[in-house]
Amino acid sequence: MIWETIRLALRSVRRNALRSFLTLLGIVIGVAAVIAMLTIGSGTTQKVKADISKLGSNLLVVRSGRFNGPRSSDTVARPLEEKDAEALSRQLSGARAIAPAAQKQVRAVFGTESLVTGVTGTESAFLEARDWTLASGRVFSESETRSGAGVCLIGETVRQQFFGAGDPVGEAIRVNQMSCQVIGLLEAKGYTGFGQDQDNVVLMPLHAFQRRIAGNRNVDNIYVAADEATPTSILLPRVEGILRDARRVPPDGENDFDIRDMTQIADTMASATATMTGMLGAVAGVSLLVGGIGIMNIMLVSVTERTREIGIRLAIGAHERHILIQFLVEATVLSLLGGIIGILLGLSLAGLAAVTMSIPFAPSPAVILLAVGFSALIGMVFGFFPALRGARLDPIEALRHE
Amino acid sequence: MSGAPLINFDKVWKTYGEGEARVNALAGVDLAIPRGQFVAIMGPSGSGKSTAMNIVGCLDTPTAGTYSFMGVDAGRLDRGRRATLRNLHIGFVFQGYNLLPRTTAVENVELPLIYRGVAHTERRQLAMQALAEVGLIGREHHTPAELSGGQQQRVAIARAIVSRPTLLVADEPTGNLDTARSHEIMDLLTRLNQDLGLTIVMVTHEPDIAAYAGRTVRFLDGHVASDARTAEAAL
Repeated sequence: MIWETIRLALRSVRRNALRSFLTLLGIVIGVAAVIAMLTIGSGTTQKVKADISKLGSNLLVVRSGRFNGPRSSDTVARPLEEKDAEALSRQLSGARAIAPAAQKQVRAVFGTESLVTGVTGTESAFLEARDWTLASGRVFSESETRSGAGVCLIGETVRQQFFGAGDPVGEAIRVNQMSCQVIGLLEAKGYTGFGQDQDNVVLMPLHAFQRRIAGNRNVDNIYVAADEATPTSILLPRVEGILRDARRVPPDGENDFDIRDMTQIADTMASATATMTGMLGAVAGVSLLVGGIGIMNIMLVSVTERTREIGIRLAIGAHERHILIQFLVEATVLSLLGGIIGILLGLSLAGLAAVTMSIPFAPSPAVILLAVGFSALIGMVFGFFPALRGARLDPIEALRHE
Repeated sequence: MSGAPLINFDKVWKTYGEGEARVNALAGVDLAIPRGQFVAIMGPSGSGKSTAMNIVGCLDTPTAGTYSFMGVDAGRLDRGRRATLRNLHIGFVFQGYNLLPRTTAVENVELPLIYRGVAHTERRQLAMQALAEVGLIGREHHTPAELSGGQQQRVAIARAIVSRPTLLVADEPTGNLDTARSHEIMDLLTRLNQDLGLTIVMVTHEPDIAAYAGRTVRFLDGHVASDARTAEAAL
């Protein structure tokens, strides 16, 4: 019986192919919009999370000065110093890696090629803190770090600019007049979501950087990576306490440094993206509603058009529920068909967006199931009133209908 | 139940409208039709014959009085029960054939069986058998648009008899057909009445069509004006 009804519904949809298609279009566009929005949205969220975790997972970043608050500009911030990092290394428990770092954009030269690159003076622990590995070569030795030797690690972008696909290890490049021997190549990290090339970098020992490039003893950041067992939220107050001590901040004084929890930032940004996705999805959902009204409209037309048919069916013994089910199934088949086409269209759009915006293609089975269920529901809800109208017809009146 | 007539009108009234506009379509009709009879119902328009036919076919209910079908007080049944009654016991043939458009002959004939819940293969078999009885084998996959008027009416008759009903209600079955076709259809109905013992109640305007029936009931102003046993009375 139900198969019979579905076959009947499919036939009726096929018979009025153009009209059915136009009716479907509302649902197709609605479902496609919802699917595309949610899929692109969750891809973006994943991308944002991945980007931030590329900076290093479970990472705290200490920076000098106060970055928040209205009075941040009226106190001259005291820069971080190497001894602050040393204090952390001595006293802090629960950290996997601690690395001071100072940065500057300078021009690097090799032969006739040159490139403006981000030079960072730091220690080998920096790689560990930032979850960065070497593609080839080695990290700084103990004595190179201490003495500030002219050695460096370069990123993939720098390698390509200077050496093409060749091996850079053992070559000497010039960074801001300073000759520097390449001892290792960093694994490529790619671009961040904000379009920043993370591979256009040169790392050198902190002391070499301070002496030859910065010309001061400042440290810009201290990176502290938490170990497996310690959440950053627990590590953060410990770092704060040690630094206040080391920098002799009076008990009632404000911190003259700033600690950022990258995990927290990642979560915040991901949830902001998710909220945005939800809002766009809701807007797309409104078009689904409009599609549903289109279905209702066409079902009313269909019932009126087929009044005589309903009369015949009622006369030969169809019950109200038979007629009701017939039109309900027809409306559901119609909107389900629209839903399926909409899903395919939505996924294609999301796939296209994933390729052009270089975000991951993240279709969610839950969202697809929801779309299928929702479009079927729309058919039933908006098909119910017209179907009931058909079922309640008086067979005598219906048979007289021209 | 065998003693009671198949169809029994006991002081049946049917009233339409309210107040000034009140019209009595039927005004206390008494009529009994036993099983196996072939009855023609005649009368001018507005005489109440269509209303009577709708009540006979359990499509409508009386305003007052009792209409019993197969000993059941059909006038007091709800919509659903009357639908079941129609599906199991009553076949309909209309003037305008009333076949489903763009649906093949055999599918049209199968329709009453669908609502009875008969499985697909058995349904097809019964429908083909009914089409054979009306002489339409070879045309079963034609749609109504591909069939002549006489053939369409044969499909309609096949649809009416496919569920082996007790009663066939025919509303001007030859009204849209030429003389030759009309007589073919009447021969078919007569044969069904005699061979299957099918009770037939038929509305018609034409005396020569009514002559096929064994009994003619004339309506006038909501009353039974005459009720004659033989075909001669039709004239």
